[in-house]
Amino acid sequence: MDSKSKKYEIIEFLGEGQFATVYKAKDSVTGNIVAVKKIKIGTVEDAKDGVNRTALREIKLLIELDHENIIALFDVFGHLSNISLVYDFMDTDLEVIIKDSSIVFTQSHIKAYTIMTLKGLEYLHMNWILHRDLKPNNLLVNKKGILKIADFGLAKRFGTPDRLHTHRVVTRFYRAPELLFGARAYGPAVDIWATGCIVAELLLRVPFLPGESDLDQLTKIFTTLGSPNEETWPGVAKLSDYVVFKKFPAIPLREIFTAAPNELLDVIGGMLSVNPLARPTCSEALQMPYFSNRPPPSLGSQLPIPSCIRDSNPEDQDQDAKGQKRKFTDYSEGGTQPKRLVFDNFA
Amino acid sequence: MLPGRGVGCLPDNPLGLSWHDSNWIPMLNSNNILDYFSERSNPFYDRSCNNEAIKMQRLSMDQLSNMIGLEYCLLHVQEPILYVVRKQHRHSPTHSTPIADFYIVAGIVYQAPDLLSIINSHMMSSAYHLETAFEELNSLARFHPSKGYSWENRRPGQPTGPVTAPPPSPVKVTGKRDIEEASSQFQRLRVDMLLVELTRKFPLPLPQALSATPQNTINNQQTNELIKKEVKQEIKQEMIQDINIKQEPQPTNSLSPSMRPPPEKKFKPA
Repeated sequence: MDSKSKKYEIIEFLGEGQFATVYKAKDSVTGNIVAVKKIKIGTVEDAKDGVNRTALREIKLLIELDHENIIALFDVFGHLSNISLVYDFMDTDLEVIIKDSSIVFTQSHIKAYTIMTLKGLEYLHMNWILHRDLKPNNLLVNKKGILKIADFGLAKRFGTPDRLHTHRVVTRFYRAPELLFGARAYGPAVDIWATGCIVAELLLRVPFLPGESDLDQLTKIFTTLGSPNEETWPGVAKLSDYVVFKKFPAIPLREIFTAAPNELLDVIGGMLSVNPLARPTCSEALQMPYFSNRPPPSLGSQLPIPSCIRDSNPEDQDQDAKGQKRKFTDYSEGGTQPKRLVFDNFA
Repeated sequence: MLPGRGVGCLPDNPLGLSWHDSNWIPMLNSNNILDYFSERSNPFYDRSCNNEAIKMQRLSMDQLSNMIGLEYCLLHVQEPILYVVRKQHRHSPTHSTPIADFYIVAGIVYQAPDLLSIINSHMMSSAYHLETAFEELNSLARFHPSKGYSWENRRPGQPTGPVTAPPPSPVKVTGKRDIEEASSQFQRLRVDMLLVELTRKFPLPLPQALSATPQNTINNQQTNELIKKEVKQEIKQEMIQDINIKQEPQPTNSLSPSMRPPPEKKFKPA
């Protein structure tokens, strides 16, 4: 085991989350640059439970997956009581790119990011895996412009009819209405909803539905997309946390996404159907005319690179580290809340 | 009023189109004129332009020059009445190709026409007015066996009426004013002056002209019996109106048909 930890030479510290510390490292055998995520031991109580569950899920699922748009887990090694996971090294994530106001997205950029996300997600769903925490922060992008879905800490296999899932998943802004209504038997449509929110965020450059509480999240969803009823969403009233909302009319998407072409509005409208059964699957979504129409999606090399990476040369990576740090603070503020709750009962 | 996809709802020729939003008009200035132009109902505004992409992404308009593609920019300002907006295709921060200009006069947006359209339009209207003039003249040409060809004056009491009447113009005040406007003071004076000038240059050879004209008309009568039949009905009217025309024998004669070619006359005084 010691030999393995020596195989990777740590280049620099990248950031720290609640469960792990991330380093940039070099594989001394192949020379590849990788990211090493060292899982924290945590408190004595946590340690009693054994291996951190987030890490366990991630190892369990990622080890079987192999797709261009899914983060690759190269290696896992233990050192003393630590576990370290070795991934593809990714330069940045979609959240940093979205927040970089020096970047203007063209239609081709948006199409490219959407296609890569949907392809990765299609592969996951084909393998009966729900990601359950899709958000720009978890869509990593490297300098070649390739987007990879990462962070499988909440991912879970689905498809067994009698197995219920917890509804306390997905960062709030990207949480589908059925989850907010307490659904326990849900499916890939929750990931589609999150993807719809991410595409909308690419267009607006701010979170599309930034709810301040779960109830506020539902209010934001329904005031924007129209409130559901038994006709538009059969069975909605039977959900355990169902709350009756005032009748809100849907705001036409054209008025929100003023510069978006009609075909893209069709894609967003489908993905953000309040009724989960009305949302397309990844494969159906990828067949929609938007993805085959002009303009074609940007090639990886044409995709924007955030200024923090663009400006820094390999010797001076201060800026880069800063960008990463900001990302991790955001993550611990907003992202961890639902994640911690997962471990209460249903995991 | 419009679905708002810009280009899609423009007719084939947008030059006949104008757009305005009266709510905006009182507060237009050079800072908000592009916002006014990008109103969703403006048919001249293509929403797939870079301006709209930047606006939707809540970014600074300074980015515009770094983008490639369709954009709108404020080209000229003459506050508070005139603004010119240009639609152009940007290739690089320093290079762009103009596509169209739009001028906003007192809040109303029009597309500036291209040179071809202007020339086409002017040629069309010239040709149209010429044609109407010829048609009008054609309908006024009269033939009388004893006097030959003459002009019918449809407006008694207006000696130079039909000749100097302006081309038919849309909606005018009817009645007396209309008649007055048919020839302005200037026009009448001008024509009188020309007539005086002409008579001075070509003194009237009265006896000759009068004796010559009937001969010609008789010839005509013999050769063109069909025409005669047609004209017969109108002869009575002509008799009355001829009084007017007789006052100006010179132009009447000079406008006679090819039987008496104009060159003859021109050479006479020489």
